[in-house]
Amino acid sequence: MDDERNRGHEQTVIEMPAPTAWPMLMAVGLTLSFAGLVTSVAVTIVGIVFTIVGIVGWFGEVLPVEHTESIAVTPALEVPRAKVAVAYLEVGEMGHRAVLPLEIYPYRAGIKGGIAGGVVMAALAVVHGMILHGSPWYTINILAATGMADLANANAATLSSFIPSAFIVALVIHGVASILIGLLYGVLLPMAPRYPAFFAAIVAPLLWTGLLWASLSVINPVLDARIEWRWFILCQIAFGAVAGYVVDRTEKVRTLQHLPFAVRSGIESPGIMRERIEREPEK
Amino acid sequence: MAGSIEHRIALSAESDHASLPILGRAHEWVVTVDHKRLGLMYIGGGLVFFLIAGLQAATMRLQLAIPNAGIIAPQVFNRLLTVHGTAMVFLVGMPILTGFLNYLVPLMIGARDLAFPRLNAFGFWLWLFGSLLLYFSYIGGDGLYGAGSAPDVGWFAYAPLTERAFSRGNSTDYWILSILLTSVGSTATAINLLTSIFCMRCEGMTLRKMPVLVWLAAVVSFLMCVVLPPLSAAQAMLLLDRFLGAHFFDTQAGGSAILWQHFFWIFGHPEVYVLVLPAFAFANEIIPVFSRKVIFGYSVMVAASCALAFISLGVWAHHMFSVGMAPAGNAFFAASTMLVSIPTGIKIFNWIGTMWGGKIRFRIPMMFSVGFLAQFLIAGLTGIMLAVAPFDWQLTDTYFVVAHFHYVLIGAIVFMIFAAIYYWFPKATGKMLGERLGKWHFWLFLIGFHMTFDTLHFAGLRGMPRRIYTYQPGRGLDTINLIASIGVIFQAAGILMFLINVIRSLRSGKPAGDDPWDAWTLEWSTSSPPPEYNFAELPVVRSRRPLWDLKHPEDPDWKYE
Ligand code: HEM
Ligand SMILES: [Cu+2]
Repeated sequence: MDDERNRGHEQTVIEMPAPTAWPMLMAVGLTLSFAGLVTSVAVTIVGIVFTIVGIVGWFGEVLPVEHTESIAVTPALEVPRAKVAVAYLEVGEMGHRAVLPLEIYPYRAGIKGGIAGGVVMAALAVVHGMILHGSPWYTINILAATGMADLANANAATLSSFIPSAFIVALVIHGVASILIGLLYGVLLPMAPRYPAFFAAIVAPLLWTGLLWASLSVINPVLDARIEWRWFILCQIAFGAVAGYVVDRTEKVRTLQHLPFAVRSGIESPGIMRERIEREPEK
Repeated sequence: MAGSIEHRIALSAESDHASLPILGRAHEWVVTVDHKRLGLMYIGGGLVFFLIAGLQAATMRLQLAIPNAGIIAPQVFNRLLTVHGTAMVFLVGMPILTGFLNYLVPLMIGARDLAFPRLNAFGFWLWLFGSLLLYFSYIGGDGLYGAGSAPDVGWFAYAPLTERAFSRGNSTDYWILSILLTSVGSTATAINLLTSIFCMRCEGMTLRKMPVLVWLAAVVSFLMCVVLPPLSAAQAMLLLDRFLGAHFFDTQAGGSAILWQHFFWIFGHPEVYVLVLPAFAFANEIIPVFSRKVIFGYSVMVAASCALAFISLGVWAHHMFSVGMAPAGNAFFAASTMLVSIPTGIKIFNWIGTMWGGKIRFRIPMMFSVGFLAQFLIAGLTGIMLAVAPFDWQLTDTYFVVAHFHYVLIGAIVFMIFAAIYYWFPKATGKMLGERLGKWHFWLFLIGFHMTFDTLHFAGLRGMPRRIYTYQPGRGLDTINLIASIGVIFQAAGILMFLINVIRSLRSGKPAGDDPWDAWTLEWSTSSPPPEYNFAELPVVRSRRPLWDLKHPEDPDWKYE
């Protein structure tokens, strides 16, 4: 193909693979030879004959030389453009190469936010247990019950006592969930650039609380019956507000969109950094 | 600079074929080895099966519209259910999507054809005849070839239900043979795509400059090569069981009932990604063009897709939580399934990043793409819910699952198929699809889709099992099912608008020109429809947006990439 290309504008014909029916015949043959299993041996025999004829014909078309067909080329030197009205994007228009968002929070911010939110939420939950059930362990045990089936059915007395295994399970569930949701905040908050606080403290917690409220009766009806939803919402909003605040206070970093992979993955590769900085289309 | 894209020779769309009589033109399609024609034949064939399988779905929904309906017999329902599911996956989703890849990949990599044009034709015909075999089973009928008729064992064909003892006659054999044939055709296509992508890119198109669609085509092809063989192997084993008494899955003779499930789902789950990754690929091309921005996070997008493909290979047993695996098994497959949400989240984030701050043009392809984004997000959320093993124990085999996977299959895949049709139709035919009818199509289909499948989540939560042909009144299911069935009428009306639109445009559509959307990838640099050889001179690219460079030599992209 290379020499073809070099001939450039004088070129008038192009060689393309010639049309052929042999592959189709072979496909018919294969299908019939299979279909014979559910119909009759005769069909299989016909199928096998077709397949063989198809293979022979097909090979004849590519060996020793591939059959080709010459097609005439009609040259035109214009850059094609639409015949319908399109708002064309011009150079410089609204940052035609824009890669937005320009800045995001570092992942670290999300993790920190998650931990901070998680601590506040845990404190509130313990307060809730003490006020309504006279025991700081009550809420912790309820949380652990999502992972420990026998706890879900336990009576109030058991739930008010300190159970070491439940404490560890609750800690793990709460920790992992807090950090993950914190991370999500870090990623999502730049997406709500107008009212990040409102989004973080109200919208997001209400969304997932609603989801949980609607589905928990199916997922875990026993647990559902034990949850005091007003406290629950309060805890979620506290989490969202604190996590959102911590994330939002962190300084944003530039997205690494323009940088080559080697730089982004932290590989020391001399030459790359300088070159890129020179090229950066900064204003 | 001879030979670079700036000096490329574009071509007039005219061909002298138009003057041939009808038969002659039909002959041309039959013997063609042109990747574009074969791509269109896949898409056209797939759309025909979409209508048939859609009618079958509508019939099921008609039966389920009211409790205790007796419109169709139980066994007929089972047959509809099986053929609908099988056809939608193997005769609609796969061929339409690979048809698009067939059409687009050579154009996008600046090549004249796929690596093996004749193999491509072979793959198509094998797919078509295999597909016809599935529907032929209806004709095979109870009388003609002994006991038989259409298969009634579900698209997953669980053994030992599919053993001779429980599935008499030949209906299950039709299912096996048909899918075996279409799988061989798909594998051929996958090999063809992989070879072409790695060996036939035009000058300058390094792996890092390929359009994301081409990347995803490679990932999908790889996935097909890995997961179709286990399915074929299992089907060959089942054939041996049924014809030669081999007892692989026959529990009474020491075979395993679970073995089939493992084989099937090690294919079946990644198959979802074989279907959804091309849908992602379309979104990756359409969203930037209609947002007038470069794609956000190109390399992350590619990396996330590769990650998705790999993770999808390790989650199959989340379809088997109710089998009663060891707790460690459940935990592993629940956790690996949840892992999927990370690359998926990244992709959604990047699509939003692409739209952010852009000058968005809400033309039909973009409307379908935005619908896709929202619906795919919801489908992902219900998927994560189902990955929680105890939740799955309660809801598996209920309509919650049916609603979940139709959210993926329709809400994501079918929506993106329509987006792609509206987007590339002008390239393939030289005519625009009508905007007004397109809007009718979009809104009717959107409303109908949500009426049908949003509600069915609740039918599932209320305990409606799937694969039942009717239900009792007064169990809180009546209204839900009625609404779901009415939704189908809206969807059908939407599809009707689409068909009218296509026919009208083919007859008297507005001429599109070569580049109607002001797009940036190579397929728009040839005429519409492209000549047989795609490019008179093979292009040379220097950036990810070769057409931008071509149109704006004063400020080309390659300076910045
Ligand atoms: C108007 C659109 C559609 C409607 C109304 C519809 C309806 C249905 C119904 C009623 C079932 C039976 C559920 C059960 O009893 O378990 C079903 C199953 C299924 N559908 Fe659809 N469907 C539609 C489109 C699609 C599409 C586009 C696909 C794939 C691309 C698809 C794939 C499936 C699959 C794989 C099954 C499972 C079959 C089985 O369990 O064997 N459907 N659908
Ligand atoms: Cu799965």
